[in-house]
Amino acid sequence: MAQTTYPAEAPASATPSAQTKRRLPLARALDESRFFPTILLGPILVFFIVWNVVPLLWLLGVSFYRYKVTAARPPQFVGFQNFLDIWKSTEIWGLLGRTLSFMVLTVGGATILGMVLGFLFWGSGRMPGRRLALTLLFTPMVLPPVAVGTFFRLIYDPIFGIANFFTEKLIGQRFDFLGSKDLAFGATIAVDVWMWTPFMILMTLAALGSVPKAELEAAEIDRLPWLKRIRYIILPNGKFILMLGILLRTIDSFKTTDLPYLMTNGGPGNKTEFVGLSLYRTGFEAFQMGDASSLAIITLLIAIAFASIYLYVLSYRETRAQLQ
Amino acid sequence: MTAHPWRQRLYHLLLWIVALLFFSPVLWIFMAAFKSGGEIVSPTPVFIFRPTMDNIIRVIQEPNFLDYLKMSFVLSIGSVLIAIVVSFLAAYSFSRYRPTGTNFIMFLLLSTRMVPASAVVLPIFLMYTVLGWSKTFHGMILFYAMFSIPFSLWILKGFLDGVSLRYDETALVNGGSRLHTMFRVVLPQVKPGLVAAFIFNILFVWNEFLFNYILGGQGTTMIPVLLATGVKQGGMTDWSFVASISLIYMLPPIIAIFFFQKYLLVGMTFGTVRGEV
Repeated sequence: MAQTTYPAEAPASATPSAQTKRRLPLARALDESRFFPTILLGPILVFFIVWNVVPLLWLLGVSFYRYKVTAARPPQFVGFQNFLDIWKSTEIWGLLGRTLSFMVLTVGGATILGMVLGFLFWGSGRMPGRRLALTLLFTPMVLPPVAVGTFFRLIYDPIFGIANFFTEKLIGQRFDFLGSKDLAFGATIAVDVWMWTPFMILMTLAALGSVPKAELEAAEIDRLPWLKRIRYIILPNGKFILMLGILLRTIDSFKTTDLPYLMTNGGPGNKTEFVGLSLYRTGFEAFQMGDASSLAIITLLIAIAFASIYLYVLSYRETRAQLQ
Repeated sequence: MTAHPWRQRLYHLLLWIVALLFFSPVLWIFMAAFKSGGEIVSPTPVFIFRPTMDNIIRVIQEPNFLDYLKMSFVLSIGSVLIAIVVSFLAAYSFSRYRPTGTNFIMFLLLSTRMVPASAVVLPIFLMYTVLGWSKTFHGMILFYAMFSIPFSLWILKGFLDGVSLRYDETALVNGGSRLHTMFRVVLPQVKPGLVAAFIFNILFVWNEFLFNYILGGQGTTMIPVLLATGVKQGGMTDWSFVASISLIYMLPPIIAIFFFQKYLLVGMTFGTVRGEV
C-alpha cells in the first residue's frame, strides 16, 4: 500500500520546465488530476458493467420467470419455482454426477499421463529438433474444439474410421464408438485426455524446472533412490505448479461444451451431455430461458467456488514464499 | 550420459515417437485434406495416395469461405487489441496505485472465465436481443474484447508487479509526464507479457465457437461456425470439406506455438506460472 502512493501533485508539474510547457493540455490535466488511477480504470469498468454486471442482473431476473422465447404468452413470474424444479428433478443430479465423473476421469487421466510423459521429457534439453517436436506434442491443446469434435467423428466412424481399423487388427472386433451407450462416454473422455495431456506435460515440465538444481545434484551424489527423490525433493518443490495445473484443468473440464456438441451432440441418450451442453440445449434448442437462467446461476456459483479455490492456492504459495 | 551416445539417441528417438503419436490424429486429418473423397471413406484406411489439391481449391472457392476466414482474423485480432489496451490501463492502475477493490475486481473477472460458455452467452443473448446488438459487428467484437480482458489483465498485472517502482519514480522525478512514464518507461518492460497476452487471447477467440454461433450473424460469422453448421445439416457429412477447412484453420495456431513456444507456459496459466519449457 504505502509503496505505491505518489504525491498528489506530480513532481513534473511542481517544477515547470521547457518540456512541460510543450505538453498537450490533456497530458497536463492528467498529471495534475487526483483521479488518475480511477481514470485508468474507466474503460475496464465500462466493459465490466455492460458485459458482466448488467447481464448478470438480467439473468437473475429471468431466472424468476417462466419464459419461453417461442411461446406467444408473456413471461410469467414464478418466484423460486425454477430453482425448486431443478432441486427436485432427478435429471439435474444425473447431469451433475455425469459432469463430475467426466471431470474426475479426464483430469485424472490427463494428469497421470501428463506427469509420466513430463518426466520422460525432462532431459530433452539436447534433443535434435526439440522445438518442432514440442510443437507437435503441444498441438492438441491449441486446436479449436469444434474441429477436434468433428474430425474425431471421422476417426471413430464405425465403417471407415481408422480407430476401428486398429481395433479390428488388434482384437478382431469393430465398435460403434460414438453410437453405443457403453462406449460413447469413454470415447469422449479419451479425446479430451488426448487434447489436454500436453497441458499437463507442460505443467510437469514447469514443476520440474522449479526444483533447485543443487538439491537434485546432492541427491545424485547420495545415490538416493528415484522414488525417494520424487517423494522428498521433486514433490515438495514442484507441488504448487502441479496443483495449479490440475486446478486449471478441473475448471476447464467443467466448461466442456463444444467438444461433445460436435462429436455426439450429448448422445446416445444423454450419456455425454454435460452441464455446458445441457444448458445450451435448454436455452437455445428448447428456448426455456427461465430454466436455463436458473441453471446458469447454479453453474456461476460453482465457477465462483472454483475461482476462490484457485486464488486460495495462489495466495498459499505467496505466504509460504514469505516464510522462507 | 555422454558415455552412452546410443542410449541418448534411443531416448531422443522415443521422445520423437511420443510427440508424433500425439500429433497423429491431426496428421490423419491433414492427410485427408489431400485425398479424394473415395479415399477418405474407404473401409481400409489409405496411407499412401496421390495428393490432390482439389479439396482445398474447392473450399477456397466456396462463396462464403474467404469472408468467414477474414472475419476470423478481424474479430480475433481486433478484439484482442481493444482488450489489451483496456487491460493495460487497468493493470497499471491496479499494480501502481492499488485502489480499493483491486483484488475483488480481479477475482470477479477471473471467475467470469471459469463459467461454461453457454452460461456466459445466455444473459448476453437476452441483453443483445433487447438492445438489438445481436448479429452486429460491434456487438461481436466488443463481446470478444470482454472475453479477452480477464486473461490479459491477469497476465499484465503479474508482469507489471515484477517491474520495480524505481522506474516510475525516476521517470517522474526527471520531469516525465504520467503518460510518458506509463507508455515509454514501464510499457517496454512488460513486452513479454504483452506478447503472451496477445498471442493466447487471439488463439482463444480464434478457436471460439458458441458465442459466435449464437450472437453472430450474416457478416460476423467465423470459420468454426461454418465447420459446425456444415457438418450438422443433412445426413451425409462432406469429409473432404471438413478436412480441408480444418487444415487451413488449424495451421495458424500450430505455427503460433512453434514461434511463440517460450510464452506457452505463461499463456496457458493466466500468467500465474512464469518461465519457459
